[in-house]
Amino acid sequence: MSEFGYSMPRYFAKMDDLGNPIKKINTKNAEELLAVEAEVDAEVNRIKTGGKPSEKVNAGGEWTAWQRIDYLVEPGTWCPLHTIYDPTANEEGTTGVIDGIGKVNGKWVVVIASDNKYLAGAWIPGQADNITRVTDMAKRMNLPLVWILNCSGVKLSNQEEVYPNRIGGGTPFYRHNELEQLGLPVIVGIYGTNPAGGGYHSISPTILIAHKKANMAVGGAGIVGGMSPKGYVDEEAAQSLIDATCGFKSTPPGRVEIHHGVTGFFREVAESEEAVLDAIKKYVGALPAYNPEFFRVADPAEPKFAGGDLRTIVLANQKRAYDIYEVLARLFDNSEHMEYKPDYGLEMYTGIAKIDGLLCGFVANKQGILKNYPEYTKDYIGVGGKLYRQGLIKMSEFVTLCNRDKLPIVWIQDTTGIDVGDIAESAELLGLGQSLIYSIQNTDIPQMEITLRKGTAAAHYVLGGPQGAANAFSIGTAATEINVMHGETAAAAMYSRRLVKDQDDGKSLDGTIAKMNALIEDYAEKSRPIFCAKKGFVDEIVKMSALRNYIQAFVGGVYQNPKSICPIHQMITPRTIKDYMDVYVNKSTVRDN
Amino acid sequence: MANIESPMSGKVWKILVKVGDAIVEDDEVIILEALKMENPIFAPEDGVIKEINVKEGQQVTEGDVLVVLE
Repeated sequence: MSEFGYSMPRYFAKMDDLGNPIKKINTKNAEELLAVEAEVDAEVNRIKTGGKPSEKVNAGGEWTAWQRIDYLVEPGTWCPLHTIYDPTANEEGTTGVIDGIGKVNGKWVVVIASDNKYLAGAWIPGQADNITRVTDMAKRMNLPLVWILNCSGVKLSNQEEVYPNRIGGGTPFYRHNELEQLGLPVIVGIYGTNPAGGGYHSISPTILIAHKKANMAVGGAGIVGGMSPKGYVDEEAAQSLIDATCGFKSTPPGRVEIHHGVTGFFREVAESEEAVLDAIKKYVGALPAYNPEFFRVADPAEPKFAGGDLRTIVLANQKRAYDIYEVLARLFDNSEHMEYKPDYGLEMYTGIAKIDGLLCGFVANKQGILKNYPEYTKDYIGVGGKLYRQGLIKMSEFVTLCNRDKLPIVWIQDTTGIDVGDIAESAELLGLGQSLIYSIQNTDIPQMEITLRKGTAAAHYVLGGPQGAANAFSIGTAATEINVMHGETAAAAMYSRRLVKDQDDGKSLDGTIAKMNALIEDYAEKSRPIFCAKKGFVDEIVKMSALRNYIQAFVGGVYQNPKSICPIHQMITPRTIKDYMDVYVNKSTVRDN
Repeated sequence: MANIESPMSGKVWKILVKVGDAIVEDDEVIILEALKMENPIFAPEDGVIKEINVKEGQQVTEGDVLVVLE
C-alpha cells in the first residue's frame, strides 16, 4: 500500500473487469508466432555477435556497447528499439548504434550507444536516421537523453550516404541543442577516439564525462598525407604517403589533457569503464523527476492474465477474428478499464485504464462481423478492422478528451482500411479520416502505437501511426503486416485489365498470372515483421509477452516530467464515460431508478 | 439434439467434421467465408455429428441449419 492517498477512488480504485482465462492454449498459433519471434531473436543475435568479437573488445581493455548498457540500465526496465533497423541494408547489417528506453538511477531515460563492435562506432548509412528517431522520441516523451559515445567518425567509403543530406551526420548536433533548448539534458559518456563527427557528437550534449583514454576533436590524427595536388594517386604519391605514414608518430588531438586540463569541456574524467557509467548515473540522479505517486490513481497491479496468452488470442491467420477485449485484459493493471461509448462506433475500442497505477487512454480495432452496422447503409454489413463513420467520430472525440485531460494514448492497430465506395464517401469517411488526423495533430500529448497485426491503407496513418508528430514510437509483433493493401488486392488492381486484354487477344493467361503471384510473394516478404523492423516501419518487433513492458516504459516515461498536467479531480474523460454509461446504456441514474 | 445454425450469410469454405464424429464444446465444425474473413463455427456443446446439411462452396444465409448434433 502506498503512503500517498488517491483522488476520486470511486472512479479508479476498482474499474470495470475485463477478460477471461483462456480455455486452452492454441498450440499451432502459438508455435507460428514463436517461430517468427525466434527469427527476430536470431537477427538480434546476429547483430550482437557480429563485428569485432566481444572477447577482442574486452581484451583491448574496453567493454562493448551492450555491456555498457547492461551496467548502466536497471535490470528489467530495458526496452530496446531499432535493434535490427538497417534501412540501407548495410554490409555491417546495422546502423551502428543501439538504443532504447530504460531506467537509470531510478529515472526513465532514452539511451543510445555507439556500437563499438562495428568499425569502432563509425557513422554508417542509416545511422543519422536512427539517431533522429531517438532524439525525436526524447523530445516527444519529454525525457533526458543519455549517450554512450564511441564514434570513430565517417565510414569514408560511404561518405555520400552518411555525411550530407537533410537527415545527415550533422542532424543530431542540432537535435541535441533542440532538446537542451526544450529543457531536456543530454548526458554523454565518451569513450575512445571521437574525431570530426564523433567530436561534435561529444561536444553537443549538456554534460560531458570522459573515460581517461577518450579524446574528441574537430579532426583526427589519421589524415597524415594531406591532399595530392595532382588530383589522383600515382606511384610517386603513393610512396610519399608511405613515407609520411611510417614517420608519423602522433598522439590523437583532444585528449583529456586538453579537454579536461585546458578547455574544461569534460566535466569529469573517469578512470575505468564502469566509472564513466557511474558518473552518468550520478548526473541522471541530479535531474528532476516526479515521484510517480504524484500522478497515480491506484496502487500498481499486474494484469490478472499472463501476457503469453496473447500468442493464443492474437491469430496469425489474418483472416481470423479475435477478441480485442481479451488482448487488453493482458495489458491493463488488474485487467480493469472504463470504456468510452461501447455501443457507438462498434468497430473501435476507446477507453481508459491504469498502467502501474497511472491513467492512460487506449484506442484499438475490434475484430469480427458487425451486424446492423454501419448505420449509413443496408447494402452491406461491417467487419472489424475496417473504419466507419461512427468509429472515426468516436476516436476524434476520445483523442480530444484525452488531450484535455493530459492522458497519454496507446494505439493498438489491426486494420484493413477505411470503408470505401460511394456509400462511404457519402457518409463523409474521407473527411472524417482527415478529421481524426487533425484531432491527433491538435493534441500535445505523447502517443505510442502498436501494430498488433495489420497496418493497412490510410487507416495505418489515422490510427496514431508513426507518421504523426505526436507519435513517440511504434512497435510491432510476430503477427505484424504493414502494406498499402494486401498483395492479392494489389495484384488484382495492377493486372486485372491485362488479364482481360490477354483473354481478348486469345493469349495464354499464364504469363500474367505468374507476374501476379510474383507480386503477391514480394508483398508478403516486404510486409513481414523483420522487413518492417529493418526498414523502420516499426521501431522494434516485440514479443507478445513483452508488450506491457513497452507500455509501462512509455506511460512511466511520459508521467516523469509532463509538460502540462490536469488535476485528476478536474478530468472530464472519466465523468463522460460514467455518465454516458449511466444515462444512455445502463439507464441507472437516480431519476431512472 | 442441437442444431448448429449459420450466424450470418456467407459461403461454406471448409467442413471439418463428418457424420458420426464425436466432438466436444468449442471444436471448430465449419468455416464460413464472409467479408473476406474466415468465420469458424464452433460446437455449442459436446455431441456426435448426426447430419451435415451443407456442402463446401454452398452459399448459406443467417439461420440456416448447417449441422445437427446428437
